[in-house]
Amino acid sequence: MSAVEQIEPSIDHYLAEYARVERDLPGSDESKRGRSAELARFAEAGFPNTRQEDWKYTSLAPVEKRRFELSDTPHAIGMDDIAAFLPEGLEAYRLVLVDGHFVAGLSDLDRLPEGVTVRSFAAWLNDNAGATVKAAQISEEPGSLSAMNAALFTDGAYIETAAGAVLDKPLHVISVASGAVDERMTQVRHRYVMGENSQATIVEHAIGLGDKAYFANAVTEAVMGRNAQLTRVRLQQESGRGYHVSSFFAEQRRDSRVYNHGVDLGGRLARINTNTRLVDQNAEVHFNGVYLPTGRQHIDNHTRIEHATEHSISRERYKGVLAGHGRGVFNGMILIQKDAQKTDSDLSCDALLLSDKAEVDAKPELEIYADDVTAGHGSTVGQLDEDAVFYLKSRGVDEEGARAILTYSFAKSLIEQIGMPAVARYVEAAMLVKLPGGTAFADLA
Amino acid sequence: MISIKNLHAEVEGKPILRGIDLEIPDGEVHAIMGPNGSGKSTLASILAGREEYEITEGSVIYKDKELLELGADERACEGVFLGFQYPVEIPGVSNLYLLRAALNARRKYRGEPEIDAVDFMQMAQEKIAHVGMSMEMAKRGVNEDFSGGEKKRNEIFQMLMLEPSLAVLDETDSGLDIDALKVVSDGINRLRSPERSVVLVTHYKRLLEHCVPDRIHVLYQGRIVRSGGPELADTLEAEGYANLETDEAATAS
Repeated sequence: MSAVEQIEPSIDHYLAEYARVERDLPGSDESKRGRSAELARFAEAGFPNTRQEDWKYTSLAPVEKRRFELSDTPHAIGMDDIAAFLPEGLEAYRLVLVDGHFVAGLSDLDRLPEGVTVRSFAAWLNDNAGATVKAAQISEEPGSLSAMNAALFTDGAYIETAAGAVLDKPLHVISVASGAVDERMTQVRHRYVMGENSQATIVEHAIGLGDKAYFANAVTEAVMGRNAQLTRVRLQQESGRGYHVSSFFAEQRRDSRVYNHGVDLGGRLARINTNTRLVDQNAEVHFNGVYLPTGRQHIDNHTRIEHATEHSISRERYKGVLAGHGRGVFNGMILIQKDAQKTDSDLSCDALLLSDKAEVDAKPELEIYADDVTAGHGSTVGQLDEDAVFYLKSRGVDEEGARAILTYSFAKSLIEQIGMPAVARYVEAAMLVKLPGGTAFADLA
Repeated sequence: MISIKNLHAEVEGKPILRGIDLEIPDGEVHAIMGPNGSGKSTLASILAGREEYEITEGSVIYKDKELLELGADERACEGVFLGFQYPVEIPGVSNLYLLRAALNARRKYRGEPEIDAVDFMQMAQEKIAHVGMSMEMAKRGVNEDFSGGEKKRNEIFQMLMLEPSLAVLDETDSGLDIDALKVVSDGINRLRSPERSVVLVTHYKRLLEHCVPDRIHVLYQGRIVRSGGPELADTLEAEGYANLETDEAATAS
């Protein structure tokens, strides 16, 4: 059987799409060779399917059956269109991508501190002929959709911090799916190269406008130099017919710290892969996540923390709130390699079911090959405490309001850990307005 | 204020209240005593609108309305307040936020505008002084990391803020040291007025010394088996509840 015969029609479409846009994609011929190799890898593996253990609960059939196309240019939108997605009171640099393309007019990158580069990934690639493109430079098993992204990505944020450089304000990276045309896709890729002792806070914000079906497939890679610190807040607010897949890969050198906060509120379907490898001593990672599927939303978080060597630290905490027919999946893998003695790790995932039609599969997964480690884990699935609901009602708060307030209370302690009050307030308010009866209590945030 | 007639209630098919009759006139304080399991807390919860009980018979008329037809939130808006035996902790939602939401719920129910923020803070500062709490505590999450005594003080603070017509206090005096007990009883006495009535569910005569009731009722096996003036507390203390069974038999016959 020839390779061509094995290719399914959906894959065929993306091969043709690559052929259509290859000339316009950023990067040197060398990088195009990398893209083309990744395209072949994607074509061979195809879309993930539910027969794969990692995708057991999440079917990409609705993505696979459509024929998404890249946008050659960004749809013309203005600040007014994205104003509602800018957290009030957040002082930040801003890098805006619309339909997969950097838009300088909506961005604000003036007066960046010395030693900090923030620019369009496409522009950086075009300026660096030697740069290679791979599904993930720092992961051996990036998955077929990361390969697809490597082949097709049009732009993203490229951030490089020199040794000792500090990004003095957060950087708000917004990727907008304009929804101007049906069945479009965005393939966005960010790369963060964090020098020794450098520090940055980045808010990666995926938003969708309009009501057209689209596919947003994003990849972020972060290389953490010695003692570097990255706070990454990933806010996902795709629109109701948005299909979202995003993958994060980090590699952490000695004493480096990654604080990753995921917030998933939007999308028809979202699958988020969050991965890090702690390759040197005293590297520390915090993965926090809040997800809130309501209606018929499906939100799947898969995380993987690999402790590759001794004396590294990981803390992971996820909280899900599921309402309506909402469906949640959480899988948190902690891999502690043979040499990773004295690893200190703790993972917990809690889910709150607000309706009997909602469903969650939450599972911590520990693989431990070292014998002298601390690795705690816990998982709970529950409902609101009816005593607490009655308590609030007995004070005059109506039933829905009582439930919204208690749900807020459930998630708040984790959202607060984002550390930026303006962003935390924005997230809390966005969460409350999603809850039945919550709008009246949006001022809790 | 409230008139309870032949109230029967059960939970999971098990009868808890078996025909309660109780009249509480405006401005009076009535205490309800009785051994564990007699149905005291159930009665308090039912008055406030807890839904896990099934009312099988009877009526509760409050200010000319059938209370049993109203939800717990509506009862609160009508002026009923329950002081909880075990107040709930709600981390991340401040005591002040809850109180403002509660006051505004009442105002909305009555078609009034929301309370002015400055007026609210002044009122809170005034009332919190009565219960020996600080505004710092009021800004913390509802009962978050409060001690048992602090939670009960907070119930009284809420009661003073909400100025209910009918306050039902379910063992608000249990587990308190003498200072906290004084705070609680002072709070109740402060609320006493010709327009307000109070139901004190208690195990202990101690509270009734600080907060002398107009009437005391003894609940036993889901019925009121004895009623009397404040002196009944002394009798109960001397004799205990040991001879209630004979009372119960006498009432039943």
